Amino acid sequence: MREVKIVSRRFDIPGSHTLDIAREHGAYEAVERAFDMGPEAVLNAVCESGLRGKGGGGAPACGKWRLAKEHSDPTKFLAVNCDESEPGTFKDRQIITKDPHLLIEGIILTCYAIGAHDAYVYIRGEYYGFQKILQGAIDEAYAAGILGEKTLGREYRVDVTIHRGAGAYICGEKSALLESMEGKRGHPRLKPHRKEPEWYFGRPTLVNNVETIATIPFIVKEGPEAYRNYGTEKSPGTMLFALSGHVKRPGIYEAEFGTPMMAYIEHYGGGIRDGMALKAVIPGGASTPVLTADEARSANLDYESMRSLGSSLGTGGMIVMDESVDMVEALKNLLAFYHHESCGQCTPCREGTGWVDAIVASVLKREADVADLDKLLDISWIMNGKTICVFAPAVSGVIDAFVKKFRAEFEACLRSHV
Amino acid sequence: MSETLGRKVKISVDGRIIEAEEGAILLQVLLKNGFEIPYYCYHEALGPDGNCRMCMVEIEGKKRPQISCDTFVEEGLVIHTNTENIRKVRREILELQLINHPVDCPICDQAGECSLQDYYMEYGLYHGSVEKGKKLHFNKHLDLGRNVMLDQERCVLCQRCTRFTTNITQTNELGIVWRADHSCVSTLPGRKLENGYAMNLVDLCPVGALTSKDFRFQQRVWFLTPTPSVCHGCAKGCNIFVDHARLKYHDDTIYRFRPRKNPDINGYFICDDGRLSYKALQTGRLEKALFEGREIGFDEAVRELKKSVECTTGRIVILADANLYTEELEMIQIFANRIGAWLYAPLESYIDEKFADEWLRNAMRAANAKGVEKLGIATTMPEIKRDTLLINFNHPVADSLDVRRRIDFLTHAEGPETGSRADLTLPIAVWSEASGTLINIDGLEQRCEQVIYPSDPVPTVIRWLEAYELGERCIV
Repeated sequence: MREVKIVSRRFDIPGSHTLDIAREHGAYEAVERAFDMGPEAVLNAVCESGLRGKGGGGAPACGKWRLAKEHSDPTKFLAVNCDESEPGTFKDRQIITKDPHLLIEGIILTCYAIGAHDAYVYIRGEYYGFQKILQGAIDEAYAAGILGEKTLGREYRVDVTIHRGAGAYICGEKSALLESMEGKRGHPRLKPHRKEPEWYFGRPTLVNNVETIATIPFIVKEGPEAYRNYGTEKSPGTMLFALSGHVKRPGIYEAEFGTPMMAYIEHYGGGIRDGMALKAVIPGGASTPVLTADEARSANLDYESMRSLGSSLGTGGMIVMDESVDMVEALKNLLAFYHHESCGQCTPCREGTGWVDAIVASVLKREADVADLDKLLDISWIMNGKTICVFAPAVSGVIDAFVKKFRAEFEACLRSHV
Repeated sequence: MSETLGRKVKISVDGRIIEAEEGAILLQVLLKNGFEIPYYCYHEALGPDGNCRMCMVEIEGKKRPQISCDTFVEEGLVIHTNTENIRKVRREILELQLINHPVDCPICDQAGECSLQDYYMEYGLYHGSVEKGKKLHFNKHLDLGRNVMLDQERCVLCQRCTRFTTNITQTNELGIVWRADHSCVSTLPGRKLENGYAMNLVDLCPVGALTSKDFRFQQRVWFLTPTPSVCHGCAKGCNIFVDHARLKYHDDTIYRFRPRKNPDINGYFICDDGRLSYKALQTGRLEKALFEGREIGFDEAVRELKKSVECTTGRIVILADANLYTEELEMIQIFANRIGAWLYAPLESYIDEKFADEWLRNAMRAANAKGVEKLGIATTMPEIKRDTLLINFNHPVADSLDVRRRIDFLTHAEGPETGSRADLTLPIAVWSEASGTLINIDGLEQRCEQVIYPSDPVPTVIRWLEAYELGERCIV
């Protein structure tokens, strides 16, 4: 297994969140290079690198960048999505606490490439302490002439503003994030009918995840080929995978795409704790369908492999579950989260999340029967693909995977088995 | 989209080819062509919002059902509105709407005109899946202010009301609070509905969540007959439905006004003052003619009228209310010519700047001010001498005139101002009990048919004046 550190390069250096130490270790070197290359070349480098968005969707970053850059409106914005609320996902907070200057560097490069001068970092409200570290780094960057009217002496203005959310999961959805930033209730917007950028106060806006932006400095500095050295043909590069659950060493470890899942869990996580057997893995944050132990053994950490298993790489936050886990309890735990976090805008999600939560609760209390399990799948059907955003379809996928893959456990909980 | 809007293209709906404007909202096109598509959140005045997910149709080439309120017409669309899959989608989304709905139809004012009921009969017809005791409960009578009550349990969160206060009145009183199935509509902390159009929310609400304090618990809607008419509250001439009923042991009674769509005048809405102006039509009315304080019959009243007019040697001045129909004003004009009287309809006294706004409420609070002008009736104040005989057709200014001899035709017993001081007081029908034409402030002429037919009708102006013409000449 090849160890690689692109985004996490400075994570282990003490004091790496301060400007001096970060610069000692190469921070902001890519900025000089980008200004020599010109914005078009920076954008081309990102396109050639094949960089895919790290926020969960995994769409190539290039397309979004071009849409924002090529829009005729001269005022453009960059919104960096740090509303990291997906259960099992905690990679962005590592970046903003361990290496905030990497993010700022990425923001400068991105703004330069697409022609934006104002960037906003939308941070979830609960990240109060982490936000202070990032704000400290931003202040340092302003004082050092990295941000502000001139960027390291070059004639390009970049301003970065932190916007704190109020703690809603849905504000991680890019259009809800922008609604929230505009001061409205964080409800996702209707999807556009043609390819177009996002809109912040009617201006074309690029929304990218923290990790995506933090990858840009490497691509600019080392070139797209260096990035393509890692990963697979279709999923190039690396990702900060998060490991939680029943492993010996949970944490954030960067790995290249295509790494076999079990090898990753063994190598970095030290295997399943207490000598227990693996039961299931949720591969990419709570919203991705669960994999059984057998599926996990055949899985590679890349988008294509996960799709072939009917799941998704998501945010790369793996939740490992050993044989002690009651899958009904696990599903109830997840559904309680979705019930609490559904924004309540469209009907299937607003009412559906509450209903499935109640049904699984009744299964746990031995108050349900087989008809209720079928009803659960029925509700899951109506929640899939019939809503404004992908929240409900994700919940639907979670329910389907749990109930279909572990149906025996659910049936054992039914009233008739008491 | 706008540059292509207007080009006619052909689309196929359930095998029928229909022509529609490119770029038009598919839901609107389908509804216009008679297809029955269920929906809650879409409203012509508010546009699509896409939250209720009821208006789904199948579009060939699209993997999933699409909401028709957010689909735009383009050449060659092939649409299916009534497949088994679509009916299943509607049925299940409706079921989701209903799981936390209190199903208190027997005491709900919306019953009979409720989308939930209609769609349940069309797509539902299942037993409730959630036991009554397990439903979520919210505030069932939240006073939003301005004559509107909110029952949060009945709400389907279509957000029509919040969009109305955000986009139409731009007063922003309403919002959604909490999330998921705990979401509910509420006024923002410390605020009440403050705009003069708030009662439109009651019409906008597709279910029984928002009800009118004035109408709630008053009448079952299926007993009501909606008759189209025009509001007389000001010169704007907003189009309305007058909902009235003649129930056993009761006379024909108006229960409410509702706005009637007219894009040239009021769009979809009316103001609250106009909406509540129905009350004045059936309270404090003058029903019998009075002569020297004594009730007299119609024939005797006509004789007394004739006697007073024909015995007068001095000047006769007629005041005519600018709320009367053009036909009635014309009749008064003929009458004035015949008896050699001076006819006035002073408009100044109708002006109320405080009432006006930039939308529907007009400072000119006489419904037919333009009709008065068109007929060439003097709109200035008349000169009154001590020996002048004043014949007043319900004009509000009459009481402020110092005149010794006076005949009043009044709709209301109290008189518009301080009460009738005339020797002869004759009752006339209010506008809902007569028919005629109005010209609104923008010069649009509108016909109003008679709405109310009381069992013992009060004579209209035209009936009085016809009787006057036909009556025998008074010989002194």
